[in-house]
Amino acid sequence: MILQTAVRELRAHPGRTAFAVAGVAVASAMLLDMLMLAGGLQSSFGSLLSGAGFELRVSPSGTLPLDTDATLQDAVALAQDIRSEPGVAAVGSVLALNVQVEVASSAGADSVGSMVFALGVEPQVQGLYRIVDGSDLKGAAEILVDVRSPARIGDTLRLSSVRTFGSAAAASAEFVVVGTAEFVYASASEVPVALPIQALRELSSRPAEASFLMLSAEPDTDPNALARRLQALIPSVEIVSIREIVRRAEMRLSYFRQLAFILGSVSLVVTALLVGTIMAVSINDRYGIIAALRAIGVSRRSIIVTLLVETLALVTLAGAIGLVLGSVTARYLESILSDFPGLPAAIRFFVLEPRQLWLAIAALVTVGVAAALIPAYRASTLPIATTLHREEP
Amino acid sequence: MTRSVVQARDVERTYHMSGVPIHALRGVSLDVEAGDFLALEGPSGSGKSTLLHVLGGVDKPDAGAVMAGATNLASLSDAKLTRHRLEHVGLVFQRFHLLPMLTATQNVELPLAEIGAGRAERRQRAHELLDRVGLGDRLRHRPGELSGGQRQRVAIARALANRPSLLLADEPTGELDRVTSRGILDLFESLAGDGTAIVVATHDLKLAAAASRQLKMVDGRLDDSDLR
Repeated sequence: MILQTAVRELRAHPGRTAFAVAGVAVASAMLLDMLMLAGGLQSSFGSLLSGAGFELRVSPSGTLPLDTDATLQDAVALAQDIRSEPGVAAVGSVLALNVQVEVASSAGADSVGSMVFALGVEPQVQGLYRIVDGSDLKGAAEILVDVRSPARIGDTLRLSSVRTFGSAAAASAEFVVVGTAEFVYASASEVPVALPIQALRELSSRPAEASFLMLSAEPDTDPNALARRLQALIPSVEIVSIREIVRRAEMRLSYFRQLAFILGSVSLVVTALLVGTIMAVSINDRYGIIAALRAIGVSRRSIIVTLLVETLALVTLAGAIGLVLGSVTARYLESILSDFPGLPAAIRFFVLEPRQLWLAIAALVTVGVAAALIPAYRASTLPIATTLHREEP
Repeated sequence: MTRSVVQARDVERTYHMSGVPIHALRGVSLDVEAGDFLALEGPSGSGKSTLLHVLGGVDKPDAGAVMAGATNLASLSDAKLTRHRLEHVGLVFQRFHLLPMLTATQNVELPLAEIGAGRAERRQRAHELLDRVGLGDRLRHRPGELSGGQRQRVAIARALANRPSLLLADEPTGELDRVTSRGILDLFESLAGDGTAIVVATHDLKLAAAASRQLKMVDGRLDDSDLR
């Protein structure tokens, strides 16, 4: 009967209820978005890195992979040394460079030169792409293109190194497209290519360099312990586990969490003020009937419970709308942020996890009900006789 | 032998409005017995409503005592006093104070739900009472769909829900027409006949004339001589 009374009270004042529901829905949408943002980036970054299947990275000292243009100078020997260490299952070298590409021969496409991001890889030991169509790299003159590339399987692409100040004359070589692939770390605006690392080294006159190495540990080896051991053995480079990379990335992205925390807190404060005000106004309007109910023997507890159930119904309805609104808003914001230059397109800023959903619901309900506690308590402790005197003619 | 339902002894009650003391009750003593139908008359501000509130345990006196049986109501905690009102006192207000979003049945069920009655029992008792006050065909109507007299009858049915020994009504016919007032009066007479003690604060001369006792209040005091 209490719930029925509460719901009917809300329905009896559609304008006021709609205003309150809309306000709390917007605040709860913002809260959900901020919770999704707070954890989304780091969880999606972590799963992106770990999805590649290599638990460790080796990069130039003081950097993280692809953080800078710095390279590991004697990467071939370094990879061999690391491969011989116990606990290391596989080592793959990656050289990442910008190169000029143009279609040398094509079934239909025009030949237009453009700059692309080229990944030199060891095809058997890589976690940077997934073949979508065609076959993986086998020969030295083969190339994979991004699925979004206009080039087709069978096309011949001419790659030219980018000549920089003081470098030798630009070299070029032709490669046949053998497959299309999805590149794990490609940003929305990038259309990368992959080719054998040795071919890219020759093209760029960097015979032994690599941007970073990817290591996988034996199944019975702790990647963190392996990283520490290798780091102690080879202090001239940076050897970190994925977990460590995620931790460092979290530190760099901590302002996202701070922003999310502040805006999430603001949305809760708005919810509290809105619910508190609406309930206070609504209860003030009902002082007469509340005093009468107290006079006929309705307990303080019943009055408080009824008003809190009314608040709960209001917050639940608004929260449900807010969660839908928050999901839609997050999707829209995601579409804007995913175009951020240089960020892997697979990175998600807003990730909805059950824990965050429950946290949003719990925070909303707690704050909403807490905000209604004071007006509800005041209503339950009204001076009955004085209020009735005031209400009766 | 008659049974005392409530006794007021030398009751004083003073309000302060804007710092000015208002002596609503000055040494009022009154016995109300089972089956009494007592009418309180007097001008506005004479203390009628305050006396009803004090007798019903809605308000506490500053001095004197209000006894329900052997219990001094002033000694009860708020929770116990609330329970006393729920179980033993029925209150009817001039402005009805029904919950507008509930049906007539649901309004009558309220005190029954508060006392812990089951749903079926509540429904049956509410229907019985609404039948008794002549609203058997208005069970599912909301207060907004009822006339003033019908609303007052719903309020009386609600006041009777827990079979109170004392029914207190403050100007129950104040906003009703003559015909409807007559119906309310008949109902009170019938209730008093069943043993319910009724105290009514009223300006309605016909209602007062029908009471078994009439008392006049002036300036917070009961006129020593009963009008009847």
